Amino acid sequence: MKIDATAGGAMRLIDPERALAAITGLNEPETLRQARRLAFERFRELPMPTRKSEEWRYTDISSLRLEDYEPAIPGLNGDRSRGSETTGLDELEAVPEPVREVLARSRERSGVWVQVDGVTVYHRLDDDLAERGVVFASIATVARERPDLLEKYLYTSPIPEMEEKLWAAHVALLSEGFVLHVPRGVRLPTPIHTFRCITKPGILVSTHSLVAVEEGGEATCIDEFMSPDLPEPAINLAGAELFGGDGATLNYISIQRFGTGVKHFGLQHVTSQRDSRTVGVNISLGGDVSRADVTSHMDGSGSESEMLALWFGDRTQHFDHHTLQHHAAPSAHSNLLYKGALTDSAQSIFRGLIRVEPDGQLTDAYQTNRNLILSDKASARALPNLEIEADDVRCSHGATVGQVDSSQLFYLMSRGLSRRQAERLLVFGFFDEVLGRVPAEGVRDRIREAIEAKIGQSGSSVGSA
Amino acid sequence: MPRNETIAELGLDEYGYDFVTEDKPVFKSRKGLDEDIVRQISAHKEEPAWMLEFRLKALKIFESKPMPEWGGDLDQLDLDEIYFYIRPQDRMEHSWDDVPDEIKDTFEKLGIPEAERKVLAGVGAQYESEMVYHSLKEEWEQQGVIFESIEDGLKKYPDLFREYFSTVIPTADNKFSALNSAVWSGGSFVYIPKGVKVEIPLQAYFRVNAEQMGQFERTLIIADEGSEAHYIEGCTAPVYTTDSFHSGVIEIIVKPNARFRYTTIQNWSNNMYNLVTQRALVEEGAYMEWLDGNLGSKLTMKYPSCFLVGEGAHGQILSIAYASDGQHQDTGGKVVHVAPNTTSQITSKSISKGTGRASYRGLLKVYEGATAAKSNVECDALLLSETSRTDTYPYIEIDEETASIGHEATVSKVGDEQLFYLTSRGLSQEQAMTMVVRGFIEPIARELPLEYAIELNRLVELEMEGSVG
Amino acid sequence: MGEFTTVASLADVPESGLKTVQVDGANLVLVRRDGRVYALEDRCSHEEFPLSAGEVTGDQITCALHGARFDLASGTPKALPAVLPVRTFECRVEGDEVQVRL
Repeated sequence: MKIDATAGGAMRLIDPERALAAITGLNEPETLRQARRLAFERFRELPMPTRKSEEWRYTDISSLRLEDYEPAIPGLNGDRSRGSETTGLDELEAVPEPVREVLARSRERSGVWVQVDGVTVYHRLDDDLAERGVVFASIATVARERPDLLEKYLYTSPIPEMEEKLWAAHVALLSEGFVLHVPRGVRLPTPIHTFRCITKPGILVSTHSLVAVEEGGEATCIDEFMSPDLPEPAINLAGAELFGGDGATLNYISIQRFGTGVKHFGLQHVTSQRDSRTVGVNISLGGDVSRADVTSHMDGSGSESEMLALWFGDRTQHFDHHTLQHHAAPSAHSNLLYKGALTDSAQSIFRGLIRVEPDGQLTDAYQTNRNLILSDKASARALPNLEIEADDVRCSHGATVGQVDSSQLFYLMSRGLSRRQAERLLVFGFFDEVLGRVPAEGVRDRIREAIEAKIGQSGSSVGSA
Repeated sequence: MPRNETIAELGLDEYGYDFVTEDKPVFKSRKGLDEDIVRQISAHKEEPAWMLEFRLKALKIFESKPMPEWGGDLDQLDLDEIYFYIRPQDRMEHSWDDVPDEIKDTFEKLGIPEAERKVLAGVGAQYESEMVYHSLKEEWEQQGVIFESIEDGLKKYPDLFREYFSTVIPTADNKFSALNSAVWSGGSFVYIPKGVKVEIPLQAYFRVNAEQMGQFERTLIIADEGSEAHYIEGCTAPVYTTDSFHSGVIEIIVKPNARFRYTTIQNWSNNMYNLVTQRALVEEGAYMEWLDGNLGSKLTMKYPSCFLVGEGAHGQILSIAYASDGQHQDTGGKVVHVAPNTTSQITSKSISKGTGRASYRGLLKVYEGATAAKSNVECDALLLSETSRTDTYPYIEIDEETASIGHEATVSKVGDEQLFYLTSRGLSQEQAMTMVVRGFIEPIARELPLEYAIELNRLVELEMEGSVG
Repeated sequence: MGEFTTVASLADVPESGLKTVQVDGANLVLVRRDGRVYALEDRCSHEEFPLSAGEVTGDQITCALHGARFDLASGTPKALPAVLPVRTFECRVEGDEVQVRL
């Protein structure tokens, strides 16, 4: 079916019937088509969240019209030359320069995936891992070759009500997603590193990362998001479903360093089985609006979940992090540390919930949010919540908002540093507690580079001279 | 461990309150609420026209506001089944001798100690919806202290009353402040003149007596510059078969360099919906402290607030909540920092037992310009049973770079090591548990006047009976 | 200091009533009382609710959302929960024209 959606530009959602026909008319496996159809209907039914809802009290997206953006779905606009089939792309030519720079700095990777405006331009997995049964392929490919994996994992995470509308849009308008499946007992020696680039204003990109590590396996996955400064807004919906099987180790790192103009919505769901260990890290640096909804479901006893984040906001950037530590099984342990530094007129919100179900006896759950305010126009909101229905638990949370320690600042300045340099050092010091808990040294280095690039660029007092 | 009888004799056993004195109201409105009832209340009180207008406007605002969707479950609160006004007597009493025996009998059963009655300098005892007994020590009158029923405050000091009334908690603040504004009856009007230090706490005891009767107390307190006072409100209610409802509004203005402390110990019977708005406006260099104990009721929603609008103002909130079977204590505190160098501290301790649920809900807001504002919040929750629940919902909104804010909350159960240690010292399991719980609430109990601290400790003992094994 | 701009005709602002106008992208609420017209930013300093949804009593305007009150002339808060002033604008009546200095 050929849909005339490109007339006068690209297909948009203004006419929902035609949009539905277009996205379900794609040359895709039936499971995906069905998922898009159901999600699209849900998307149409649901109202855009308003500030009346607690979860959106401080981030007003009620006037954000997703309909005004062009969904970046490969094949949708008659362009079938690339995107739908992603294996065999091993030429780096189509890879944007900034990505190549990152790739050139270190070669310690088990696999790489590069997407530009929703289209895959490069993809590679180490041969020996493929031989050992590791799957690292597009969702569409996996739908054809390993439908069992999708049936077991894709879109199975419990989606909190607060993000339902966005999640529905994410599924209905999926640009392209990947699946990383690590079989039982297989351990990836180095990270999988993916890049999602936006280059065009006015588009809506939706990507999905499905990572499942089976019993005793181990994997580290870095999702890096980037764009140049855009003259007009663009939207990024980044879904991630992460599954740690019994005794598995799973590290997931999201590095968001979009340019201006991008509104980023990250939707991440971790499900942990017995004695597994997961580490989820969110580094938020770019974009105009950056929202991350991060949930960690400890369904297996003895599971361990480490949740880390740091953000650095300048200009009028708006960061909003929502977290859930869901203890549904006994003897699980979760530890959250989210730290943000804000300058100029940047704003940040942290809203976190530790929820312990009646079965969650012997839970250990901790939640800490620290905010550093570096300018008189910056503001921070913290809402650390607890809901505890088991009695034999140890839970605590803490939140602080403060400024850099002036005695430290003056000390550094007395040693010959400019105020900017001194502040910059102190911000790094502030972030160090988070970086120190990020699992691999290589990953820590990549995060440090990204933060340095951001602080270096920032026109604020924390920026380098 | 005292025997149960001892506690009942002291009137501290919750069932000890389960009595009803003969009900002889002068006027009792019909159930439910409409404009006629509001007009009747105002007419009975012989109020000025502006107050009737104020009430009628409030009724409209109440009707237009939705029920809150957060906090506790209000589904079973049926306002059509509530009596909104009952007046037991036509006139205020001026001396203890004039107080009817029937009411004295009520106080007897409430267990107000004899010695305390003698010491009490001014007792605003609220029986049903009116102040029935009201006296002030002569020295206070000489100092110019006003401690009246709210009705008399309006009659005798109309200008002072009108200047401050509803400026701290406006009608439209929330649904229940609107309701109170429409039907308020009873409560206190207090004015402490400049520089006056009131040594002995001002106390008001009151109780709900008629079945299904709502109690809508309204209190307005002005602590003028450099004054100091402590106001204590305690309440308890007999157990009834249908739900009861209490919705008070307490407004306090603390003028520059004044110090004011407001203590509430709430031990309503377990069928009471207790939805109270308490707020203080705290001016330059002034100090406001809320000490809030919530032990009774079916559901309490109450978050004492301090608006620190003057430089160097300080707000302090100490909150203790005890949620037993079927109870939900949704309590906490709010502090809004508006001016530079303002400081605040919120300390909350809650205990959940059986199917009880204790929720801490708080707001900490620092406006831009409140330079060097400092605030610290500490919440500790203790869980005594597998079926208990505790929640913490703080809101922290900081718009000032130089503010320094900390919030910490912990949840724990009574530690096995603690119990083991205490039982190895010869205490029974139950005694050990009681001791741990007492230790947990000690930081707040020690701030209470002695008689309240004793009462609180007795209550803990009583509640801990049978909690083990 | 900007120039006076005509924002409404006097007939459009009822005595003791409210009228909203948009000037240079700013939302203003005009209040006429005892022959004078006041101009305030149409946004409560508490939760940014439009003041024009509220009502005028005496020399104060009351926000409909939480009951905060402001002095018409100065914008200073007269009742909590508002603690910050609302912006006011110089306002004059020239003939039948209501003029505001932005």
